[in-house]
Amino acid sequence: MVFSSIPFLFFFLPLFLIVYYLVPFKRKGIMWKNIVLLIGSLIFYAWGEPIYIGLMLFSSLVDFYNGKMINKYWHEPKIKKLFLVISIIINLSLLGFFKYADFIIANINNIFNLSIQPLNLGLPIGISFFTFQTMSYSIDVYRGKVNYEKSFSTFMTYVCMFPQLIAGPIVRYETVSEELHHRKINYSLFNQGVIRFLQGLFKKVLIANNIGLLWHEVSTIPSLELTLVMTWLGILAFALQIYFDFSGYSDMAIGLGKMLGFHYLENFNYPYIAKTITDFWHRWHISLSSFFKDYVYIPLGGSRVSKIVNIRNILIVWLLTGLWHGASWNFVLWGLYFGIILLIEKFVIAKWLKRQNNVVKHAYTIILLLIGWAIFASSDMLYPKEYLLTMFFGFDRFISTKTIYYFCSYFLIIAIGILFSTPLYLKITNWLNNVTNPKLKLIYSLIFIIIYMLLFVISVAYLVSDTYNPFLYFRF
Amino acid sequence: MEKNKYFRLIGIFFSILVLFFILTFSFNINHNFSENENRYLQSFPSFSWDSFTSGKYIKQLENFITDHFSFRDFFMGIKSEVEILLGKTKINSVFLGSDEYLLEDYNLPTNTERFINVLNSFYLRNKHINNNLMLVPTSISINSSKLPLFASYYSQFETIDEIYQNISFASIDVRDTLLEHNNIYPMYYRLDHHWTTYAAYYAYVSYCEANSLSYLSINDYLITEVTDDFNGTLYSKTNIYNYQPDSIYLFTPKTQTDIKVEYVKGEEVITSDSMYVYSYLETKDKYSFFLDNNVPLIKITNNKNNNNKKLLVIKDSYANSLIPFLTYNYQEIHVIDPRYYKNSITEYIKTYEITDSLFLYNMNTLDTDTGIYSIN
Repeated sequence: MVFSSIPFLFFFLPLFLIVYYLVPFKRKGIMWKNIVLLIGSLIFYAWGEPIYIGLMLFSSLVDFYNGKMINKYWHEPKIKKLFLVISIIINLSLLGFFKYADFIIANINNIFNLSIQPLNLGLPIGISFFTFQTMSYSIDVYRGKVNYEKSFSTFMTYVCMFPQLIAGPIVRYETVSEELHHRKINYSLFNQGVIRFLQGLFKKVLIANNIGLLWHEVSTIPSLELTLVMTWLGILAFALQIYFDFSGYSDMAIGLGKMLGFHYLENFNYPYIAKTITDFWHRWHISLSSFFKDYVYIPLGGSRVSKIVNIRNILIVWLLTGLWHGASWNFVLWGLYFGIILLIEKFVIAKWLKRQNNVVKHAYTIILLLIGWAIFASSDMLYPKEYLLTMFFGFDRFISTKTIYYFCSYFLIIAIGILFSTPLYLKITNWLNNVTNPKLKLIYSLIFIIIYMLLFVISVAYLVSDTYNPFLYFRF
Repeated sequence: MEKNKYFRLIGIFFSILVLFFILTFSFNINHNFSENENRYLQSFPSFSWDSFTSGKYIKQLENFITDHFSFRDFFMGIKSEVEILLGKTKINSVFLGSDEYLLEDYNLPTNTERFINVLNSFYLRNKHINNNLMLVPTSISINSSKLPLFASYYSQFETIDEIYQNISFASIDVRDTLLEHNNIYPMYYRLDHHWTTYAAYYAYVSYCEANSLSYLSINDYLITEVTDDFNGTLYSKTNIYNYQPDSIYLFTPKTQTDIKVEYVKGEEVITSDSMYVYSYLETKDKYSFFLDNNVPLIKITNNKNNNNKKLLVIKDSYANSLIPFLTYNYQEIHVIDPRYYKNSITEYIKTYEITDSLFLYNMNTLDTDTGIYSIN
């Protein structure tokens, strides 16, 4: 089930919340709210993926047990380490088998000219998120950063919690361990959750889906009809689509978390106002980049090593980051592309960049990002090449009436997208909070609330009309 | 957020709205047909383990919920309004043209060669009869001047040329007559994907001229408006509710006629003395007024004509409004819709001693409809 759908909004969520709020938190030694949350999450997962639910349960069981064992043999480093290694091997094998097996087979076939049958396993939804979560738990227990979880049902609740289950953010056990055992639930938190959830819904349904249509059109027209202007327009549309879609999902997850009494960490921080690519990656999908930093980059030695080893570490991290996004060469290339840019920013142009004014910095960052998205957007390796060639050298096909038509049809929604990728919304609410005249404040606030409700009704209208509503993370 | 106490209302309003929609949903559960969309709504799926594990059950359940959501038509209308506000001039593949014309987009055809092969092999089997092909452009080609600024579409004329040049049929070219008369009478409905009775008449004249047949002039018909409240398929596709509905006109020869029609629907045969079904005018699907929508096989006999000429029409729904004119020229007309009629057509021609054939298709169904490709 996805959040931006009629069945979720009008059936699953209200029914679930009513039961969740009615049961006590803990009575007679049973954590009722956790149990309800767990059952709800399993229904939520089974809704879209009835078979692979076993896989998620297996992954939880493995790490629950590993956490316990690591704690039990705390003073026997070798045994302790063995259980850590087991956790990593099992989780990475699950991920490797279900996500990368066919990719590996296809490449072996290619290189050795064989014809091994692909397995054609569907990628279990959310596998990249829940394997990372359970793995980070075992590592953190091993590192002594968190205490092991004593109750299996509580641990399962952590792994399967539906808000972040299928599209992140990657929530570490350390973030929620307190709240898994005691949490406050009140109207104020529910209200904050609703506001945050609605923001995410608007981002996804009103902005991302609408802008995504333009990219869908541009990427499906015959490449002979592409023009230079159209390629820029198209990739700009994709950049906005993926930001509003992904950060919209994260907002919805964070909002749902609040309704349930959990505080997740932020996953996006206005990435498109970044002034360097390094800056961008501190603002984009933060839970993923910090995961790779804490569990790959730093264990490899981070930057406290020789320059050569440091370069190697950075490239490894970005190769993995690329691969995490999907089993395909373009994602590998995309990851390495950013790895190399980050290296250049770090070792070559750091000083030069600092001297530039903001316009240059933003232009530099946005252009590099758009090139990155052109590599990312299509898994067919030839398409990005042709697309990029038209972007930069297609002066013989500069513009066409179709390009102008697209521009006219999408100009407004793109402008809205660009405006709201900046902290504009934050500025509006800050201004509203600081209105001192109480009458004016009431009127402005009511207008603000009416706009929220109107946007909600319009979002429902888009969902009812069965329009373009893709789930972009099925490859993650 | 906490700095503004009024924002605490959002959670309450949101909850009320959600509960309101859940309540009204329960009133809708028993609806099973959407007139506006002209389709059956998803019924409540029956559970089986296989359909559950394959994900089919859940998909159907989700469709059931979305289909029965309250105020469906209202919401679809809102969505269109928002799209227009955002500056879109194309909704669900339909351009919003000037003068309240809705123009369905035409995509790059992919089955042209296949169609040519089907016709040529039909021709080889049935050389002994007079074979005609009439390809009708859709509204977007004839009304292209009404398209929104900078909108573009694939030329249907090129495809028509390609087909006409590669078949041995007599080709009836109606493009010029439609373009020419479009300034006098509308050749297409504004809110539906069909052509008007006027267009059908002028296309009929082209057919007669190509085959040296006589025909009645437009003044020999009594022209009546049978409805002025026709909101067709494009109305439903775009959900724009404030355009003026279309009128449907009926052409009746001023001379006395004596027609017998047999509608063959599987085992059932319905006999009538009219080619028009008035009850459809009370429903949304008003174009079905002509020849009872899409019947697999229809036999029409003109009792006042003994010329022994028997025409077979293989067609899509565009032909429904043209066929009545042809009764003037033929003793019998047999109408086959290959989407629903699956028996051998070559056998049929032998059995009923057919003398002429007419393939009549509009450019949209030609490429998207697969019925024609399996004729034999």
